[in-house]
Amino acid sequence: MSDRAKSPFFVGYLPIPQGLRSWLIAISILLLVLFAAVSWAVGTTQDDPGPGAFRFDFGRQTVTGILEAKPYPLVHVKQGSERIPAGHTIILSGQGKNGAISRAEPLDGKLVEASGVILKRGDLDMLQLRGGEAGLSAKDGQGGMIAPKPEELGRWKVAGEICDGKCLAGAMRPGTGLAHRACANLCLAGGIAPVFVSSKPVEGSEFLLMAESDGGPLGDWFYDYTAVYISLEGNVERRGGLLVFKADPDTIEVLK
Amino acid sequence: MAALLIGFGEWWLYIGLGVAAIFLTIGIDRIDEDARGAYIFRPLLIPGVMLIWPLVLWRWFKLETNSESWRKRYQPQRASHARLWLVFGIIIPVTFLAAMSFRQTPPADFEPQRLSEAGETAQ
Repeated sequence: MSDRAKSPFFVGYLPIPQGLRSWLIAISILLLVLFAAVSWAVGTTQDDPGPGAFRFDFGRQTVTGILEAKPYPLVHVKQGSERIPAGHTIILSGQGKNGAISRAEPLDGKLVEASGVILKRGDLDMLQLRGGEAGLSAKDGQGGMIAPKPEELGRWKVAGEICDGKCLAGAMRPGTGLAHRACANLCLAGGIAPVFVSSKPVEGSEFLLMAESDGGPLGDWFYDYTAVYISLEGNVERRGGLLVFKADPDTIEVLK
Repeated sequence: MAALLIGFGEWWLYIGLGVAAIFLTIGIDRIDEDARGAYIFRPLLIPGVMLIWPLVLWRWFKLETNSESWRKRYQPQRASHARLWLVFGIIIPVTFLAAMSFRQTPPADFEPQRLSEAGETAQ
């Protein structure tokens, strides 16, 4: 009999050969320790996904307010709900990876009733609208109510990343970072509002709704910079309770 | 770069579709007698052939030219297995660590700079 034929051979459904027992135990322990160590290392080196979440536990929220369609649909709340106080400004989105631009444009500047589920992350709120007119419809009794006049806050240079407002607000965890880039671009292509996450607060807010420098929706230039740390200049203005960052793409710099 | 990769993937699949069309209508009957007269299963192979068409062509060539050596094919590759185990044992952790190390650092210390005063819209 050759040496090869005499060497122990592992067969899963037979008892472990004596010559392999200690090897198998050592490898098993080593793998257990290794997997635990790698799990710990990966887990502790990940960025905090933040406190954003879909707040289904709040129940359906219905508010009345003045709708502003540009750069992206938002409502300046006049009559709030249990969770959304009057005076608040809330960004609107459709369901899934869809924005609410086409639904909002005919209602620009009008008093509307908006209804849906809130996504909340810090001072960033988004309302995912219900389908059809149950989600967004014109409301009578506007009277003299208009959207708050934009307050210019000057030109700023900020650093951070471009995200889609919905995932950032809590639809995804994480809703930021390179691993989320493809999802963010799909959401943004679907018309969901882009939000700039600043390294530090600008006038008290680290989340800025993004717009083109002319105040309209962002052009296609930003897709290559989504989820990448960049610095960027632009004019900032306050619209109700929300800051809008009118980005100047000529000033964009990718950070190291 | 992304456009290049997507273009490469598209051409790969187009060629694979062509190979699948030829192989599943002509080739498979020539190299596999069990497939002769059986057609319903063939469309199910199209996605797989589109992905691994170079291997399909290689195997078709070997079987068509009778240059297939089944002994060699089924010989366990245990010698190279040990070397590959070692190589992958190094490559995978190094790739992982490199990916974790060579990534952008969040600009956590960057303080937003006001370039013009409130109310001004200077460019």
